[in-house]
Amino acid sequence: MATLVEPLDQRPNVATANIQLPAVESYEQVDREIAGTLVPTTGWFALLGISIAFFLWGAGAWVYQIYWGLGNAGYNPPVMWGVYIISFVFWVGIGHAGTLISAILYLFRAGFRTTIYRCAEAMTVFAVMTAGLFPIIHIGRPWKFFWLVPYPNWRLIWPNFKSPLVWDVFAISTYLTVSATFLYVGLIPDIAVLRDRATNPVKKRILAVMSLGWRNSEPEWRHFARMYLFLAAFSTPLVLSVHSVVSFDFAMAVTPGWHATIFPPYFVAGAIFSGIGMVFTIIIPIRKFFRLQHIVTINHLDAAAKLALFTSMVVGCAYLIEFWVAWYSANEFEQAYFWNRVFGQWWWAAWIMLSCNMIFPLSLFSQKLRRNPTWLFILSILINIGMWYERFVIIVPSLSHEFEPWQWSGYVPSWVDVSILAGSFGWFFMWFLLFIKNLPVIAIAEVKEIIPPRLRSHAPVADIDVTGHHVDYSPETPGERE
Amino acid sequence: MSQRRSWALASGFFAIAVAALGLSAYSGASSSQGYAPPQPVNFPHPRHVKQLGMNCLYCHYTANRSPDPGLPAVGTCMGCHQVVRGPRQAIQGIADRDTAALNQLLSYAKGTSDQWKPIPWIRIHKLPEYVHFPHFRHVNAGVTCQTCHGPVPEMQRVYQYASLNMGWCVNCHVKGYKLADGLLAAGDTAGARAAANVEPKKARYDCSVCHF
Amino acid sequence: MTQPPKTVVKRREFLKVLGSTGAAATAVGCSMERVEQLIPYVVSPDHTVPGVSTNYATICRECAAACGVIAEVRDGRAIKLEGNPDHPVNRGALCARGQAALQGLYNPDRYRGPMIRRDNRLQPATWDEALARVRQGLDEARAANAASGVRFVSQHENGSFPGFVDQWMAAGGFGAHIAFDAEADLAARAANQAEYGSAWPALDFTAAHLIVSIGADFLDGWGSSVAHQLSFADARAKLGAAPRFVYIGARRSLTGLNADEWIACRPGSELAIAEGLLGAVGGTSTGTMAVAATASGVTEAALQRLADELRAARPSLVLGGVNTPDAYLVSQAAARINRAAGNVGVTVKPDQGSTIGGADGARALAALATEMNAGTVRVLFVRGANPVYTLPKAAQFAEGMAKVPLKVSFSSYPDETSELCDVVLPDHHALESWGDSEPVRGTLGLQQPVMDPLFNTRATADVLIAMARADTAMAARYTNAMYRDALTSRYGGGQGAFTAALSTGLGQGSALARSTAASSAAAPAAPTAAPQAIAGDGEFFLVVHPSPALGAGAGANKPWLQELPDPVSKIAWQSWVEIHPSTAARLGVHAGDHLTVTTAAGSVTAPAYLYLGIHPEAVAVSLGQGHTAYGRYAQGLGVNAVDTLGATYDGGGRLAWTQAKARVAKAAGHSRLVSTEGSARQHGRGIAQALTAAQLAAGETGGAHHEFIGDASHEFLPGLRAPVANDAQGDLGSQSSTKKGMYADDHWSGMASRRWAMTIDLSRCTGCSACVTACYAENNIPTVGARWQGRSLRPFHTADGAGWDSTPGANILKGREMAWLRIERYFEGGESGETDFETRFVPMLCQHCGNAPCESVCPVFATYHAPDGLNVQVYNRCVGTRYCSNACPYKVRYFNWHGYGEAERRQFAFPDPLHLQLNPDVTVRGKGVMEKCTFCVQRIRDAENRATAEGRSVEGDEFTTACAQACPSRAIVFGDAASEEWSVARQVEDPRAYHVFEELNTYTAVVYLKKVNHPGGPR
Repeated sequence: MATLVEPLDQRPNVATANIQLPAVESYEQVDREIAGTLVPTTGWFALLGISIAFFLWGAGAWVYQIYWGLGNAGYNPPVMWGVYIISFVFWVGIGHAGTLISAILYLFRAGFRTTIYRCAEAMTVFAVMTAGLFPIIHIGRPWKFFWLVPYPNWRLIWPNFKSPLVWDVFAISTYLTVSATFLYVGLIPDIAVLRDRATNPVKKRILAVMSLGWRNSEPEWRHFARMYLFLAAFSTPLVLSVHSVVSFDFAMAVTPGWHATIFPPYFVAGAIFSGIGMVFTIIIPIRKFFRLQHIVTINHLDAAAKLALFTSMVVGCAYLIEFWVAWYSANEFEQAYFWNRVFGQWWWAAWIMLSCNMIFPLSLFSQKLRRNPTWLFILSILINIGMWYERFVIIVPSLSHEFEPWQWSGYVPSWVDVSILAGSFGWFFMWFLLFIKNLPVIAIAEVKEIIPPRLRSHAPVADIDVTGHHVDYSPETPGERE
Repeated sequence: MSQRRSWALASGFFAIAVAALGLSAYSGASSSQGYAPPQPVNFPHPRHVKQLGMNCLYCHYTANRSPDPGLPAVGTCMGCHQVVRGPRQAIQGIADRDTAALNQLLSYAKGTSDQWKPIPWIRIHKLPEYVHFPHFRHVNAGVTCQTCHGPVPEMQRVYQYASLNMGWCVNCHVKGYKLADGLLAAGDTAGARAAANVEPKKARYDCSVCHF
Repeated sequence: MTQPPKTVVKRREFLKVLGSTGAAATAVGCSMERVEQLIPYVVSPDHTVPGVSTNYATICRECAAACGVIAEVRDGRAIKLEGNPDHPVNRGALCARGQAALQGLYNPDRYRGPMIRRDNRLQPATWDEALARVRQGLDEARAANAASGVRFVSQHENGSFPGFVDQWMAAGGFGAHIAFDAEADLAARAANQAEYGSAWPALDFTAAHLIVSIGADFLDGWGSSVAHQLSFADARAKLGAAPRFVYIGARRSLTGLNADEWIACRPGSELAIAEGLLGAVGGTSTGTMAVAATASGVTEAALQRLADELRAARPSLVLGGVNTPDAYLVSQAAARINRAAGNVGVTVKPDQGSTIGGADGARALAALATEMNAGTVRVLFVRGANPVYTLPKAAQFAEGMAKVPLKVSFSSYPDETSELCDVVLPDHHALESWGDSEPVRGTLGLQQPVMDPLFNTRATADVLIAMARADTAMAARYTNAMYRDALTSRYGGGQGAFTAALSTGLGQGSALARSTAASSAAAPAAPTAAPQAIAGDGEFFLVVHPSPALGAGAGANKPWLQELPDPVSKIAWQSWVEIHPSTAARLGVHAGDHLTVTTAAGSVTAPAYLYLGIHPEAVAVSLGQGHTAYGRYAQGLGVNAVDTLGATYDGGGRLAWTQAKARVAKAAGHSRLVSTEGSARQHGRGIAQALTAAQLAAGETGGAHHEFIGDASHEFLPGLRAPVANDAQGDLGSQSSTKKGMYADDHWSGMASRRWAMTIDLSRCTGCSACVTACYAENNIPTVGARWQGRSLRPFHTADGAGWDSTPGANILKGREMAWLRIERYFEGGESGETDFETRFVPMLCQHCGNAPCESVCPVFATYHAPDGLNVQVYNRCVGTRYCSNACPYKVRYFNWHGYGEAERRQFAFPDPLHLQLNPDVTVRGKGVMEKCTFCVQRIRDAENRATAEGRSVEGDEFTTACAQACPSRAIVFGDAASEEWSVARQVEDPRAYHVFEELNTYTAVVYLKKVNHPGGPR
């Protein structure tokens, strides 16, 4: 669609070789194959069941924790933050790839995003929804959470706008709203496709409403494209700002290992890295089980893998700089902490982090491995683990080995922590699974744009419009011009 | 078109306002204003205060020297009611004595004083336990009882007059207590007129003054 | 929202007073919905104002010292004990055990009323039934004319009571009364009596140039600790001119840790050293340094140096008090050294001594046990004392009791002894009853009830009188119906004068002495008893010592004392075996590994604690734990060290705690030490800073411990002086900040012109931890170590509580203790194998930073900076993000992990009636909120309210915090640093002053004064 917003004197959008879909014969095929993924299967029901079970178990654990007190989590003062905040940062991080891929790469005209961005975007929304729960789970009196929200009240008191936690409230809610909107706007033409294919009248009605009466007319496409471009531009800064704000939760405290200016870029890079990891974790099974290898091609994965490699190196660089700064600052608290991090009490966690995020991804220098979905999947799992441990390493060792030697401690999560973490995965995948069976997990309209250009000739083999309907050829057809 | 947009804008603001109101209501509405439970002894304040002109401090005897206002001991009641008991016809415009309440009292004060039982009054004015309200500081600062407790001398059955919510407290601490209003509430119109241009008496509104 | 526990209502009904600010309320409580009753007095008592405290002067009975206390009583309930400033012994200070007396009074396991053993179980009875049963027993004894077979064992207490019982027994023609004191150093008393003519001369540490303690733990339990500590701290406060302190002993006790030098000798060799020193200072002695050196394993040079120092430094003060069989001889030798060194009358003042005495030791009880086993004892009365627990198995006291037809206990608690009795006539708590003491010759300390009895109990003295008056033979001698009348009738000036004296709790006169016949058993063994070597099969000397908090076991049922980390090991709720790291390495033992210590008498198994302060050839176990009864807080914790002891007694008749060698073997199992210690080393972070006397003399202040990049100016006084230093709402870090918080400087309230601050003098602080318990008492701090307070270990629980972590101290293992004020104990030196090392104690509490890291991060302003410089924590605003604790460099913020204040949670910390002690002025925090030291803001506000009511402003040093008030070292000074009226304003100008982590720019309100050390070498 990008082409639509280009000045008229430019050549049509012809997909570059590395992102073409030679195996796609016709628009109809695109509709058929992608819409075809929406049929529920027993395997899907099984997975959904498991996810919901996990979610309910986690929810139960939370209720239990609210009744009996946070003491049932593994906190070991002065380690006052644990699994919940770790998971909060982890999920917010996951939530970053989506917007990056759909917005920033869109602005950069990176064609390979086309087939994976929808999946990434959905992932973003659900990840942020998950992340948003954790601060509430984490606090001592969840029923008072709304005190962090500025609202007129007769106590005449407001939140402390100096506190990064209040910034979080804004950052997370903004990000959730924008990414959700972005996802929905992108979906509109596809929903229209589903609407037109739907046979069940009820479903048809619902889809009709959701598609906002999309009629596939030239003005609609024009507005749509403008809107999409605008949202892309709007959410691009958010990708950078949100995780910067999250990093302030740490950087603003004097705690050794937290109090560092490198944190915002370091966190953003980490977030994008982890997000791409999660994209692989999700898209690779999908293209396999839905047999969409010819749509989400190895070329696309290869390109995404390069992005992963790049961000991994940024993150690795940040790790090393942290150590260098600790040494260079000559601040003994800082030095003691970083020594303890890699060689002391927490060496194992630190090495999980370093190897998963810094060392293993280097394998992506090999094209062979970049183009090997199996390896990419395994690596993506490692990256997820590594990025969870990155947050663990930032939070737990810092707090357990702070200024006051008398108060040094350890930390072991409890069954409640673990249940709630598992529950959060249940919650996330519950939404994602519901998504992939109700809405196209691959953007129909955009895929049509990158299929072989022969369909775009002035004398098409078949007169098909972008939404795959056989109509009389008209020059108004988007993507075409006199 | 522009009309429509502005309409959308308005509805958006409306939604936000509703949400805010809801939150603030939830946050502040835990008040039992107007709570008026039946008491074990239906003590007629009007009779004692309005007609007989008794001072609040006679029964609530520590309000000016303790954080607690103090409740009358059964002994205090019986100080008079050893003598003043039983029905009596209306004379010289004073209504006949209502013995129902009196009998309730006597049911707690049977026999000699060592057999008396304490009266289990139902508490009406209750601040949360994390708020420290020293009565004597307020009484000594000249805040009249009626300012917070309302027209008790008129109340056949005492009820919670003020909301006792934090906003209500802070309001007075910040804006200051107007003596004139207090005296007016206490029914002293003359005094109120005299105190008309007395500066409002402000108080500290720092959290740790009441919460610790 | 949780409701405040129902116990509140129960209390109010019970009190029959106007419910004041909610005692057991919770911060989350919003109790508008609950119907609550207000119960007024029936007849209002004179001179009590609801909601305003009344103070009564009385006596602390937690140890033999009988300190004077002021009980703060609110609405008919004692809520706090503080030292009586006029009292000659403790001059206003009070130790942790004294503070915890309240938890004896409100102990949930107290007998609610008299009990009689029916079908082999103690069951509630009426007083008439119980007394009838006793009378019957006495008559039977008389009938069998074995009246002399009626015996009385009481916990000895300073005052008339022992004499009173003597008389009672005599009047009834009964046998001897034994007034038992398990802890008192009877040998030292006997030796002092013989050498000085006074059982306990006044010790003046300030006059000495050198203090040598031969095993005498004068700061933790030897004699009257508080009195000693007051004087010792004053001596240390002379800084450069302060006496150097050398401690000789096998184990560094709390006293030992305060010494400048530790001479680690083998247990049992103290006598040899003492004799050597005696010779060296020119006393008549057989001992020589060479002998001492070989006996003690200390180099002769070291001893010689000490001897020279002792000769040079005059006057000096030498104290001898060991727990070995030689105790008498050591104390005697020490006394003779003092005489030879000319210390008597200078540092040792026999004429000002206390009349403490007349106590019987374990030997007397052992003799009684033999009689009981012989079957000659018909009736046994026990009051207070707990012989079954305190006596070694070899004494066979329990077995003996089984042979006594009638055992009557006057105990208030279900301890090991009273559980074996047939009748229990529960006594009032000391705070509910009358009594007297004679702390100093000629001065009477008066004990009066501070509140009505909590339960259906009766004062033993009154019971005895009643029994006597009902008895034809004795009635004649008891004209007074009540013990109180007996006291007043003895009191010069009678009733009127007595009543007058009660206001100060002090009067003239002397307590009733014990009848000589009765106290014959207390006479020491022949003073010439030969030295006894410590023998036994095994390679280690076994050092058994009383616990500073639990004593010989009496304190074990008080959660405050269980929760109080041992000042030396920092271990709570647990027993441990102290073993030297080098030895541990040799045996392959790590901290927490179980060790079995076996002697001829028996064995105990407890986790190992690696301690530099124990002689490599010795292991040490503390007394106090291992109760099989004595209530929920004492039962089943740790081991009873007495199990390893045989029936060996010292010259004073006390059980010789250090008496044998033992085999030490690594046992199966490992348990983590319930310790509050993270790292015992400072890692050069300058938290506890010190100077040598030489440096001080040279005018060095030591400066900051080192420089940091971006270090703040060490000039913090302006920041401290500023009404509110650079607070979170001002220009951070700027000394010239004009923003002083929410009020303008000139705010009419004057609030913004104050800066509440505190100085802590590390050269005074001895680490005794009295302040910690005082803080628990004042601020309703929950104890979290009891075995039912642990967290859940799995999702589903059975009714019997399985599935919960029921390890004693489980929460403390998780670092969740709530002590707002903790004593950090840092070791310096000793890593590289040298014997001696230095110890620094640092009381660490909220520093009330002017520029607080915690304030800016709180999203809801639950913690913020008050205009008077306080770092405030608003519990009811807190949502529990715990960000403040992460930001706090001092780690002094504590989180309510469980519903410690909520009666319906199993972690509830104040089971009925413990909640009656709660301070009504302080909110009981609910679960999920953060809490911390408030600088006793309730006291500040109370002072302001009082001042306003009296139409004045708060005056200098008008009040102080609970910790400062209790401190027996007077190390803590609290006040308004911005006003010259307060002594703290002068204190902060001391050149030794420093801020902890100054480089963080926190501008704390707590200023520490560096410790001053006196390294070796005679002056």
